[in-house]
Amino acid sequence: MADKNIKYENIDKSQFQFVQDEKKIFDKKFETKPIGYFKDAMMRFAKNKTNLTASIILLTLILLSVFVPIFSTKNAEKLEETLSYLPPRIPYLEDIGIADGTKMRYDQPVDPSTIDPETGLGLPYSTLPKYIDMSTLENYYGGCTGKDAQCVGGQNEIMKDNNKTGAIIRSNTWLSFSKIYSSKIVIDVYNISDEANSKLLVQVGPIAGQYVTIGEITAPGVYTFDPYLDNPTLPASGKIQLRYETEDINLRASLNSVSIVSETEDASEADQLKYNYSVSGYELSQYQLVSEVILNDEEEIIASYSGTYVRANGLRLMSSFRVDAYAEVFGDKFQLAFPASEYDKLMAEYADVCIQMEDPDNPDGWLFPEGCPIVKVNFENESVFVPGKGDQFSYNLVLNYQIYAGYEEIPYFFFGTSAAGKDMVKLIFIGLRTSLLIGLLVAVINITIGVIYGAISGYYGGQIDIIMERFAEIIGRIPWLVTLSIFIALIGPGIETLIYVMVVSGWIGVASVTRTQFYRYKGREYVLASRTLGAKDARLIFRHILPNGIGTIITSSILMVPALIFTEATLSYLGFGIGHGQSFSILGINMSGVSIGVLLSDGRNQLRQNPHLTLFPAIVISILMITFNMFGNALRDAFNPALRGSE
Amino acid sequence: MTRYIIIRTIWIFIIISIILTLNFTLLKLAPEYPPTEKNDRTIYYARQVSDGYMTERVEKNPLIYNAMFNNELVRPRNAEWVDEDDQYRVFEPISVARQYFTWVENIVTDWNWGYSTRVQANVPVFDVLKSRMGVTLRLNLIALFFYIPIGFALGILAALKKNSVTDNVISLGVMIFISIPSFVMMTLLLMLFGYTLDWLPTQFPSADLTGSIQFTGLILPVLGLSFGSIAGLTRLTRAELTEVLTSEFLLLARTKGLTRTQSVIRHAMRNSMVPLVPSVIGSFVSLLSGSVIIELIYGIPGTGRVYIRAMTRNSYDYNLILGTTAFYTIIGLFAVLLVDLSYGIVDPRIRMGARK
Repeated sequence: MADKNIKYENIDKSQFQFVQDEKKIFDKKFETKPIGYFKDAMMRFAKNKTNLTASIILLTLILLSVFVPIFSTKNAEKLEETLSYLPPRIPYLEDIGIADGTKMRYDQPVDPSTIDPETGLGLPYSTLPKYIDMSTLENYYGGCTGKDAQCVGGQNEIMKDNNKTGAIIRSNTWLSFSKIYSSKIVIDVYNISDEANSKLLVQVGPIAGQYVTIGEITAPGVYTFDPYLDNPTLPASGKIQLRYETEDINLRASLNSVSIVSETEDASEADQLKYNYSVSGYELSQYQLVSEVILNDEEEIIASYSGTYVRANGLRLMSSFRVDAYAEVFGDKFQLAFPASEYDKLMAEYADVCIQMEDPDNPDGWLFPEGCPIVKVNFENESVFVPGKGDQFSYNLVLNYQIYAGYEEIPYFFFGTSAAGKDMVKLIFIGLRTSLLIGLLVAVINITIGVIYGAISGYYGGQIDIIMERFAEIIGRIPWLVTLSIFIALIGPGIETLIYVMVVSGWIGVASVTRTQFYRYKGREYVLASRTLGAKDARLIFRHILPNGIGTIITSSILMVPALIFTEATLSYLGFGIGHGQSFSILGINMSGVSIGVLLSDGRNQLRQNPHLTLFPAIVISILMITFNMFGNALRDAFNPALRGSE
Repeated sequence: MTRYIIIRTIWIFIIISIILTLNFTLLKLAPEYPPTEKNDRTIYYARQVSDGYMTERVEKNPLIYNAMFNNELVRPRNAEWVDEDDQYRVFEPISVARQYFTWVENIVTDWNWGYSTRVQANVPVFDVLKSRMGVTLRLNLIALFFYIPIGFALGILAALKKNSVTDNVISLGVMIFISIPSFVMMTLLLMLFGYTLDWLPTQFPSADLTGSIQFTGLILPVLGLSFGSIAGLTRLTRAELTEVLTSEFLLLARTKGLTRTQSVIRHAMRNSMVPLVPSVIGSFVSLLSGSVIIELIYGIPGTGRVYIRAMTRNSYDYNLILGTTAFYTIIGLFAVLLVDLSYGIVDPRIRMGARK
């Protein structure tokens, strides 16, 4: 400061000159262009680089949502089941291992015959080995409840049906007992309780058509019973029957194993096998449920038995591996019964390539050269007679799906395909378009209602204002769960409910902003002047006050659009909004019932198997919400710099 | 002050009763879905009669019986005709207005919120909810106590280092987390930590499992619930604190000779807390309603899940819907009341609605 003072201390008078000399400049035009309100706002808007970037991304998304559905040649309308759940595949990225069209498969049952003795790994039934990435193959035991030989270990649980006395299971094979070798029946019970008079009766028979009880079990443990103790006349072969009785339908008896143990150390090998027997896990699950009704002398039902018999805690050898899904889908496919009519059609269509050749390994079949949709025919099936259609011929053959479906090269699905084999890129942008349009439409409705309501409330003030404010507060305080349940019960899920739910309380924010603007402007001099000139209320509201406040109202309501998209996505995700198979029309554009929320809802149960169904819609909606919010904030800051920072 | 509290309390009660009335009346206009099992249905209709929502009579007149049997008579909405060989047992609902007063009476005198029809047939609604409220409230309170310190800390950090790299990073994070819908966030978290990395359980652990899984099972839903709230609180704290930091009294405090730390902690923080305390109470409501969808995604057996089940298409359980929404409405509006009162208590400059 000191320097400057010294520097300019004594400036010579001749250094100064008048800017203008007796010239009147008030009529003169500016040499530079004036900066108007909008230009000023635009300059402020463009100054913030982050927000500008966000706005450009948002614009790109909107443009994509308009043009992708129009110009994309991929299928997003018709069901193409073969292509379902394809993982994303993107050119160039696939070379570095990202989005290369492979995906993990989990919990695929292993074929025990394929277990490699060196590695100890087995291959799954479901996928051909040539499509599996062997380095990712893993075997592990997973839970199972199936009644098949591959489901090992665990228990078997007996439960009774509602209003029944209990449930009965019985061995389905005839078993051998021997008095000489003093056979005993051994039951290993994993879990049972004596609550509600629960008990498990062990019975053998049939002795004269009846099963006789040889023991009763009310607590877990291993029990041994001698079938000959009370029944010296027991025949040498019979069945074991377990009768479970309880009064509580939620209780169950859980069995580990059932065995027959005989003292056969000195007997022949055949007798040892015959009189010693043990079943557990899978074999025990083969016992059969028996229904029984016991009548008394007056033919009244005194007890009836029926129930369910299920596997619990069984283990199955499973595998997880990475599979080349595109190669699998577009590669050779084995067809058990390929219709002859279809075969003839293909033969006619590909007459120049499909030249039948002899198969040296298989005299019943024949081969085709490369380029033909059919790789080879194994044999011709026996004809099947279909009533009304006559004999139907079919072939057992191998089909090349790529040529068959008419793909010149294996297609790229950038975001993968949906359950119906539709292209996810196209679906996402169709969904985005729907979401945006619903958001815009509802925003327009809300702004209209809000502006009218707020204008009346703010312009008239006084008692009207108080009542209207109270009403708005009540409406605004209704939780969305209440609004939703009312509309769902009265109308049912769908686009209408969606719009109503969003409109019911959506206008309140706009109304309060409008009201504030009206309080701000209604006392201004120009309003008073117009009123004294005889202007009516409507003119004052719509011609004088509203135009002054509308900028603020619009910029502050722009943030409503992302909020509405948010609500739409949430409701559709919960299944209360739009859904597949619906169609409706907004502003003359026909919509299918696909929105981002619907797509996310589709992927909800596929998070592990098909993460792409969720990942891409989630990313797109996240980017949309982030950029829309940033754009809205930037717009508001640009138009009302005073509001900056206060969110 | 007393007058203000009384007015606000009465007003909140008025709003609660209006909302519940609206909900009851409109739901009663929709077609009923009685229990599917025959026994349950018999009990249900008997109870409807004993609770005073329906009338029961026996139609013995053979002419009318035949007309009813041959569908020549139109069955009134929500009425039930039980064929008993040569007579019909007719259950007919009374008018919605009278049902409403019966309903209020049942609640006030017996605390009888009706019986569930589809979700758990003939179990009192309050019992269904009682067994699930615990999980929901526990989860939300944990989320509340998790997000408040983090939100405050980030907000204060951003405000103190305004316009620095830290502030910009925090602000960008706030923008991102406030924008992403909570269910999208929850799904992405579940996909990353649950399925891809396999660090956390992918389903809410059932109550009979013990050990660390009970703790690890809470991590994802709490994170999913609180990300948005953290972002909101950070933004608010930052905005409030920056405003206070530029005010004159803080300048005065500095000129008095206080260090920056002293002035921030003793003066700035205290003053910026004023609008924050109510907003934290208010945020509990948004947490609670946000948890409905989180409960669905993570399989949490809470009230939100029961609500969604009661809203199963064409199997609506109206009594349960009424009970659940009443639960959310009452908690929500009491939070609003608390916010209003706390404004009045925390900041004596604000005395809304009260005459000087």
